[in-house]
Amino acid sequence: MKIHTSLLLVIMSSVMLAACSTSVERLDAQQQVDLSGAWNDTDSQLVAQEMIEDSLSRAWISKFVSSEGKDPAVIVGRIKNLSHEHINTNTFVANMERELINSGEVQFVASAANRQEIRDERADQDLNASEATRKEAGQEYGADFMMQGQINTIVDVDGTTQVRFYQVNLELISLKDNRKVWIGEKKIKKLISNSKIRP
Amino acid sequence: MHKLLLAFVFLLSGCAQHNNNRLADDLQFETPESILSALQETKPDDRDIAQYYLNLGYLQLLSGQFPASIESLLIAKKQMQSLAATSVSENIGAGTVNETLRSYSGYPLDRVMVHNMLALSYLFNRDIDGARVEMLQADVAMKKLADKDSLSGQLVSTHLLSGIIYELLDERSDAFISYQLAENILNQRKIALPEGLTLGLLRMSLKMGNDQAYDRYSKSYPNLVKKMKGKEQVFVLYFDGVVSNKIQASLTVPSFNGQQLIRIAMPTYPERLPRSLHAKISDGEQLVSSDVAENINVIAREDLDKEYPSILLLTTTRAIAKYQVVQETKKKDQLLGTLLNFATLLSEVADLRSWNMLPATIQFAYLETNADDIVVSTPKTVQTDVDLSLGHQHVILVTNLSDKVWHYQQ
Repeated sequence: MKIHTSLLLVIMSSVMLAACSTSVERLDAQQQVDLSGAWNDTDSQLVAQEMIEDSLSRAWISKFVSSEGKDPAVIVGRIKNLSHEHINTNTFVANMERELINSGEVQFVASAANRQEIRDERADQDLNASEATRKEAGQEYGADFMMQGQINTIVDVDGTTQVRFYQVNLELISLKDNRKVWIGEKKIKKLISNSKIRP
Repeated sequence: MHKLLLAFVFLLSGCAQHNNNRLADDLQFETPESILSALQETKPDDRDIAQYYLNLGYLQLLSGQFPASIESLLIAKKQMQSLAATSVSENIGAGTVNETLRSYSGYPLDRVMVHNMLALSYLFNRDIDGARVEMLQADVAMKKLADKDSLSGQLVSTHLLSGIIYELLDERSDAFISYQLAENILNQRKIALPEGLTLGLLRMSLKMGNDQAYDRYSKSYPNLVKKMKGKEQVFVLYFDGVVSNKIQASLTVPSFNGQQLIRIAMPTYPERLPRSLHAKISDGEQLVSSDVAENINVIAREDLDKEYPSILLLTTTRAIAKYQVVQETKKKDQLLGTLLNFATLLSEVADLRSWNMLPATIQFAYLETNADDIVVSTPKTVQTDVDLSLGHQHVILVTNLSDKVWHYQQ
């Protein structure tokens, strides 16, 4: 009887320990995984890819190339988070920068924060680098267009069910004359149902 | 076997909640920083994680540790969200031993108030966009909790804070709607509007060009119209005191045949509400006093009242279940049955957990001034000068628990 009880205890302990242990599984970065229904890496990549594809397929780019005789230089400005979630817009901006650079159709200018670091380095070179390798100030490539935007959400909730509607608006503004040359919009709608019972 | 039984009872007798309640009581007399240190030295039970991080985050906010406060309150918020579903195993534990075996998932007050405290932490951490996100989430949380028969989970302070944040972001329409929602709740509660809220309604209706609403408010409050004259806007939030702790009301009676003792224990709040004290703000010419926007003591009692029928039902059912188990055990082994009866008495404790370090009231004052500095004074602290020279819009948080003044300006 005692042996049976001990055996039962060992089995129960093993099951409990197994349930509590951490498990890790490597996933493909492109794999779509939705856990909470909140904005995630998949949404960020999807929106960035589709919107940049759309912007590069529009007439503004060919018009600029024919009038100026060079590829347009673009800078990504502020993407404002007006949504219900704490979205790290830096990853979204990074996704857009990657899509823009990899397209090969536009020149890309570093952001204000990046530029400051580079200017600091240039100032340092001015004092410390040899004349042959020193980079001069005043040679920066000025952007022709700035991309700005915002992420909005509408949340409708009833008990444990939620509909989350995300709308991402981006616009490309000419730095020369403030003209808006392209406006893009991407919508994502998610139905999220939470369980009413847990173990 | 008997020692094991006693150890088991000790574990279930709710020692952790008494320690937490003692710290909340001490907060009235000691600084938030010292209570924070004492709280950080304790290790919360897995079932009390949400309550622990709610209190921790609030104390970190009052101590000016804003990034840490954000981190703690986000953990508490996530924990409460994940515990919103009903647990089968915890209900069995609560139905057979006591209510503290259920994980603390927060009252409606906690689920909305956590957004307020997070918004303030983000704001004083100079992240107004983060504060705005919290206010949007609070709106969703309040819609989830909305009930046509009660105001459960509908907080004036949340709408008021939303209005302030929207006003700082120059989102006039949203600010006006938030102030109106705060007004609606106060009207339903038959509580006079804080002067600062009335000024907000006047100001926003005027800025939006909503002539009809402005005429209505200016006719209702003609004396306040002349108060809208300064270039500096000062929003003052004052946290007064500490909300009441729950107390246990218990009754032990012999069974009808006198063979065992039966005990029931229910949570309740002390009947007497503490008197609110007020903060004063002066620019040399004007002197304004903070008005109560939210009486958290009242709301905490309403939340418990709403749960009372289910607590009573479960307590009675548990008493019957315990009686039957003891009766059956006594038939087999008289001594073990008596010990088990003793264990059922000791384990019968009321669930006294709540977000028990919140202020007793949240008060609000608004001042428009041309002065470069103002003086803020709270009942227990000395007067503090606040410099307004670096911005035109100012949010100030003060409490009578500490002499610190938190100031956001833009």
